[in-house]
Amino acid sequence: MTDPAINHWGLYVHIPFCQSRCTYCDFNTVTGMGEQDHAVYMKALMREWERIEDVPSGPLVSIFFGGGTPSLVSPDHIGELLHVVLTSPLTVSSDLEVTMEANPGTVDKKRLEAYRNAGVNRLSLGVQALQDHHLKRLNRIHSAKDARDAVSAARAAGFSNISLDLIYGLSQQTMAEWHETLDAACQLEPDHISMYQLQIEEGTPLATQLKKGQVTLPLSDTTADMADYGRDFMERAGLERYEISNYARNGRWSRHNRLYWTMNPYLALGAGAHGYWHGRRWWNVRGVRRYIEASLAGESVEAGAEPLARPEEMREYVWLGLRECQGFSRSRFVRRFGVVPEALFGRTLGRLLQQGLIERDGDRIRLSARGFDVANYVFREFVEETASA
Amino acid sequence: MKQSDIRNFSIIAHIDHGKSTLADRLIETTGALTKREMAPQVLDSMDLERERGITIKAQAVRLDYQSQGHLYELNLIDTPGHVDFTYEVSRALQACEGALLVIDAAQGVEAQTLANLYLALEHDLTVIPVINKIDLPNADPDRVREELIEIGLDGTEAILVSAKQGIGIAEALDAIVERIAPPRGDSQGPLRALIFDSRFDSYKGVLVYIRVVDGALKVGDRVRFMANGAEFDVTEIGVFRPHPVAVSELQTGEVGFFAAAIKTVQDTRVGDTVTLAANPAKESLPGYRPAQPMVFSGLYPVDTNEYGRLREALEKLQLNDAALTFEPETSAALGFGFRAGFLGLLHLDVIQERLEREYNISLITTAPNVVYQVQLVNGEQIRVDNPALMPVAGDIVEIQEPVVTASIITPSDYIGAVMELAQERRGVYKDLSYIDSQRAMLTYQLPLAEIMYDFFDQLKSRTRGYASFDYQWSGYVPADLVRLDILINGEVVDAFSIIVHRDKAYHRGRALVEKLRDLIPRQLFEVPLQASIGGRVIARETVRAMRKDVLAKCYGGDISRKRKLLEKQKEGKKRMKSVGSVDIPQEAFMAILRVEDK
Ligand SMILES: Nc1nc2c(ncn2[C@@H]2O[C@H](COP(=O)(O)OP(=O)(O)OP(=O)(O)O)[C@@H](O)[C@H]2O)c(=O)[nH]1
Ligand code: SF4
Ligand SMILES: [Mg+2]
Repeated sequence: MTDPAINHWGLYVHIPFCQSRCTYCDFNTVTGMGEQDHAVYMKALMREWERIEDVPSGPLVSIFFGGGTPSLVSPDHIGELLHVVLTSPLTVSSDLEVTMEANPGTVDKKRLEAYRNAGVNRLSLGVQALQDHHLKRLNRIHSAKDARDAVSAARAAGFSNISLDLIYGLSQQTMAEWHETLDAACQLEPDHISMYQLQIEEGTPLATQLKKGQVTLPLSDTTADMADYGRDFMERAGLERYEISNYARNGRWSRHNRLYWTMNPYLALGAGAHGYWHGRRWWNVRGVRRYIEASLAGESVEAGAEPLARPEEMREYVWLGLRECQGFSRSRFVRRFGVVPEALFGRTLGRLLQQGLIERDGDRIRLSARGFDVANYVFREFVEETASA
Repeated sequence: MKQSDIRNFSIIAHIDHGKSTLADRLIETTGALTKREMAPQVLDSMDLERERGITIKAQAVRLDYQSQGHLYELNLIDTPGHVDFTYEVSRALQACEGALLVIDAAQGVEAQTLANLYLALEHDLTVIPVINKIDLPNADPDRVREELIEIGLDGTEAILVSAKQGIGIAEALDAIVERIAPPRGDSQGPLRALIFDSRFDSYKGVLVYIRVVDGALKVGDRVRFMANGAEFDVTEIGVFRPHPVAVSELQTGEVGFFAAAIKTVQDTRVGDTVTLAANPAKESLPGYRPAQPMVFSGLYPVDTNEYGRLREALEKLQLNDAALTFEPETSAALGFGFRAGFLGLLHLDVIQERLEREYNISLITTAPNVVYQVQLVNGEQIRVDNPALMPVAGDIVEIQEPVVTASIITPSDYIGAVMELAQERRGVYKDLSYIDSQRAMLTYQLPLAEIMYDFFDQLKSRTRGYASFDYQWSGYVPADLVRLDILINGEVVDAFSIIVHRDKAYHRGRALVEKLRDLIPRQLFEVPLQASIGGRVIARETVRAMRKDVLAKCYGGDISRKRKLLEKQKEGKKRMKSVGSVDIPQEAFMAILRVEDK
């Protein structure tokens, strides 16, 4: 698949609301907020957008509503924000992708239709597992049936680009259950699947449960088997792997997420959202209340930023690019940075080639099959050690 | 101060019998520190001492004591109780005329009580027995008195004390003044002062701790170190009360320190005699028997650039720790480092921690070993303090290993258990005697290598904590020893080689490779581990190849965080030693010793 042009850019919108917190979740999200709060927050998003003075000159190719649970916010609000953004002075791509993350427990056909009418054309459903006992243990708010129903409702509502998120390596998850999840998920014929290994994030309820011995994780060999099994299963089901954790049918790659891996610019709206443009990465205040207050008061909501010097951008370009199965394009690297990647990474690339962890395919440099298994080993070659002794 | 009003004494005891706490009370009662300034074991000033609750360094303090209208100057030295630091005790004793021998009223006489008593008698000191912790519900001072008689002291002379509750302190002070003789020494003669310790101060240079035996020392005097003739002008004289306080002079019999802008660490040697350049003494004082390092270990900086810093740090520590020895050595696996000698494992542990904390150097420490005497076929006799340097079997006629005479005091019920343990450790039975009706003292000859690591723990666990243990160097004896090598990825890693008894080699080799299999993280490729003796593989294991090392998610908001995670991992890798392209974590080099040896 061709890479996005260097001037293509995206917009990320963060919706930090959830009904309850899943045990493994460390996203920026709050529970217990009502309609009223949503409305105020959406206003704050709009104010933040209005204050943005400058946007990239290339076409906007993607808008992504992530969360939290964006599907808790009413379709009217989503529509209104999209309207404001898309009627601003900027170039919008003719096939703009508008993705919304949705929780199966929050949507029905009518609501989904409304989102579609509001302009959302891609749905990412947090399915995670298809056994009720696992969903319950993770404190998900939906059942396996809700997930299946949500997919049919989405189809009925006219969505032709549906993605499902799945997690493996759950507490007490067996290989048979993982097979069952994969099988059931594929029978729903999604256009796209993201498959993640469960990560234990510090400070989450899951981390506490683990420390107290209330849950136990599968052995690392079992998790590795699950990863291999999932990968092979996807290929057999006709979903092509295009990134470490992402699979798609008919070239339905996530246009938005690709922007991250090809280091295209993205702007960001909302509490804790991260943007990247012009050699700079920045992030907004995380607290929802503080975000709302600042934005409505017309103040900056930026909480921090890091400048990325050119060599750092080059490093990131390489390891982020290597996340995609097709790897990164040397000529695109040259176009962007004015030098060949070997100028900086010649020895490293040579060594990795020799170790059989990466391979060259014409213009592209990509991970080998073994390289995918130990991708972090490869990526570490492209980051600097922290300065501290 | 008149010489006849000075009393110099040490507090000695088995570990934890309350020396430092008794010192607290003496300091408090004589008013050297106010209640507000006091803290438990106030003389244990090193962080390490406070954390572990043990004394590591002997500590001198000057106290003013008023008794019946008469003012005395008491110089007290608190000493460590752990067997590794016996050398420290013997140095302190040389600066004294008397010793308080503290005995825990509940525990009674223990192995180091005896060892320290003998040391004091060797130095011809007046010994005052102090039965401490009489406040404890299970205190049994009468039984302890009987035990004292059994070991040749006058039980009726013992002073009953609770250092914790401040009982019996006045009696102890009076006994010090009455029973201990004032320092002898010729106040009119040329200066002779014994260096019993020293320390480096970055402002003042070396601080030299002395006991003035003859003559006096004043600020401005030009002093000469008798060992090498180096001369310096004294810029400052002080005493510890317990904080350093400047004084203008130290007279015959007094204890204190001086500074003289001494920058070269080598000039001051503990045990040397200081005299005056203008009126030098003819003969130096007897000095100390040099400390005998018992165990040796390789010390390597994790960051090879820190070799120079490590040498400087070791030199400075040596100033303060005469028992530490070191020589440069190189390892194929670890690069440039030092082979350092220690009095025991606690001593090693302390030095290692001080290097890391006070000098901020990350270290790899190889498994400690003893020194072997090796008789070669070609007639030469060599000393091997690094297992990797043990010659091949064919070149060796005989290997001798160091043995100690160990005294183990145990309740009689456990004699069987103790004997069994000693047997397992290749002990040779020497003697059994009774301290009282319920407690016995077993004497064994044991290979030093066998008691070095977990012997004490084993002894405690097999006697439910009741046995105590002390040992003394007793020479070399022939033994059937072999060098066990560890191969990682087909290469011998010199830092892992150890010397073991032939009968235990197979078991050790097996345990070692199993341990390493668990300690070495999975690598990109499969790593074979082998244990071998003289080229013959006796055990093998494999570290399987890393299966997955992947960050599942990486989207816009994550990138900086994920990058930092990768950076941290990379930093972690750097702290490992790369041996033949295998990354080996630091702990592995030391952990090699911690394998069970059953
Ligand atoms: N009950 C009671 N406990 C005491 C008494 N004296 C000391 N202890 C306790 O015994 C423990 C050891 O006391 P230390 O003064 O550190 O003993 P030490 O002999 O200096 O120990 P090392 O320097 O490590 O050999 C501490 O927990 C003290 O609080 C006493 O008179 N009564
Ligand atoms: S729904 Fe998603 S964002 Fe909300 S708590 Fe669960 S995992 Fe976190
Ligand atoms: Mg002490």
